[in-house]
Amino acid sequence: MNRLLSAIFSMLGIVPARRYQALARQVNELKSGSADWKAKAAEAMNRVRTLEQEVRRQTQLAGRFKLAAEKADQKQTELDALQSRLEHAERELSGAREHLMVIEVKLDILEGAANVLDGRMRTAAPQRTGQTGVPA
Amino acid sequence: MSLPDTIPLVSLVLTGRNDGYGGDFTSRFFRTLRFNHTQLRARGIAHEVVFVEWAPPPGNPLLADQIFDAIPDLDPGVCAWYVVDRRYQEALSLNPRLEYLEFPAKNVGVRRARGRFVLTSNCDVYLGRRVLEALESGRLAPRVLYRAPRHDIKLTVDQSSLDWAVLEDPRNLDGPAHVLKPPYMGSATGDFVLLDRDSFHEIRGFNEIYRGARIGIDRNVLVKALSSGLTIEDIGGPVYHVNHVGSYRVAPAAYAGREAEAPWGDRRWHASGVSYANPPTWGLSTAPQRQATDRVSYLDFSWEAVPPLVDLRRVVLPVARQGGPPPGQYVRKR
Repeated sequence: MNRLLSAIFSMLGIVPARRYQALARQVNELKSGSADWKAKAAEAMNRVRTLEQEVRRQTQLAGRFKLAAEKADQKQTELDALQSRLEHAERELSGAREHLMVIEVKLDILEGAANVLDGRMRTAAPQRTGQTGVPA
Repeated sequence: MSLPDTIPLVSLVLTGRNDGYGGDFTSRFFRTLRFNHTQLRARGIAHEVVFVEWAPPPGNPLLADQIFDAIPDLDPGVCAWYVVDRRYQEALSLNPRLEYLEFPAKNVGVRRARGRFVLTSNCDVYLGRRVLEALESGRLAPRVLYRAPRHDIKLTVDQSSLDWAVLEDPRNLDGPAHVLKPPYMGSATGDFVLLDRDSFHEIRGFNEIYRGARIGIDRNVLVKALSSGLTIEDIGGPVYHVNHVGSYRVAPAAYAGREAEAPWGDRRWHASGVSYANPPTWGLSTAPQRQATDRVSYLDFSWEAVPPLVDLRRVVLPVARQGGPPPGQYVRKR
């Protein structure tokens, strides 16, 4: 009997208050859910924009880093070349110093010999006095 | 000179003369030789003493005439004594301030030494225990130049009764004991250079080309040794030197600022940076030799035996051996 009455009321667009309240609650919940989703969507959009900005920034940074890396590579190559030239110069300098030492030692020997010979000559010279042909 | 046919293990090459060097040279020398000979004999180390009496002053008795009376225990059979005409000193000198050409004198002994190993030292150097042990053990290797650090004994120590107790007492040391540092193991090198005879002949002894200084010639032989592919090792213990008046050790800075006037020559010469190639006649090998007694020979003077006053091509760059330390190092002289 109740079911029959409910069907008749339903055909007339009349629903029980209990059901009406339940449906109204559902509508409210759906409205509320829709607002949440809108907020989440807005938040997601914001995040997408932020991430896009970040990507652009990172891309720019990567570009700058790439440039810097290329420059660093170039500097490293120049540095290697300088290092190589420095080592070569050091070897040259070391060799030059060695030669300088040899030359200085040889000069010492020559100086010593000159002094010795000078001394010998001065010792021998007085013995020849009177043999010069110069009248006394 | 009649010497035993057997080859001694070691020839102890010394040089000196009766000129009062350092105050009382003769007594110091006799004391030291007595000690070393006694120690070598006690350990059964076959040795000979090669003494070069270089350019003895006229009027003073020769050491050769005194030594066997002074040390009756010294077996004449193990002694080879060479008295070198004093005209060689003048003929070889490149520096009139040098009164004693120590290393050409030592070369005379090295050239004529018979031992399997040749030890060049000085007349006031006492061999230490470790040195004697190394000789006794037979562990010496060819192509190794052995060095020993020198421990200096204070001037104030009573020298008349030096024994192990006195020599090894740290309180008697004059300053910290020397430590040898690679690659050269230098420092007082003239007091101890021990090398097998063949290698000593291969390098042709000490530098005879640069005769303007006495100091540094000993260190220069280390450059030559490294340059020739020899190795240098610390023998493991010291020798002892008793300080005396006039020693470079006592007054190394006495000629600071006027180095060229020093009686040992200019110490700033490049002893660590150059090498040499002595002529084949090194050690006055062509000097006329006259036997005076069965143990004493005279090397008479002859211009034929005197090397040229100047022989510049024999001053050479040292060779750097692969894996070895660089033998040369520039030191600013002036």
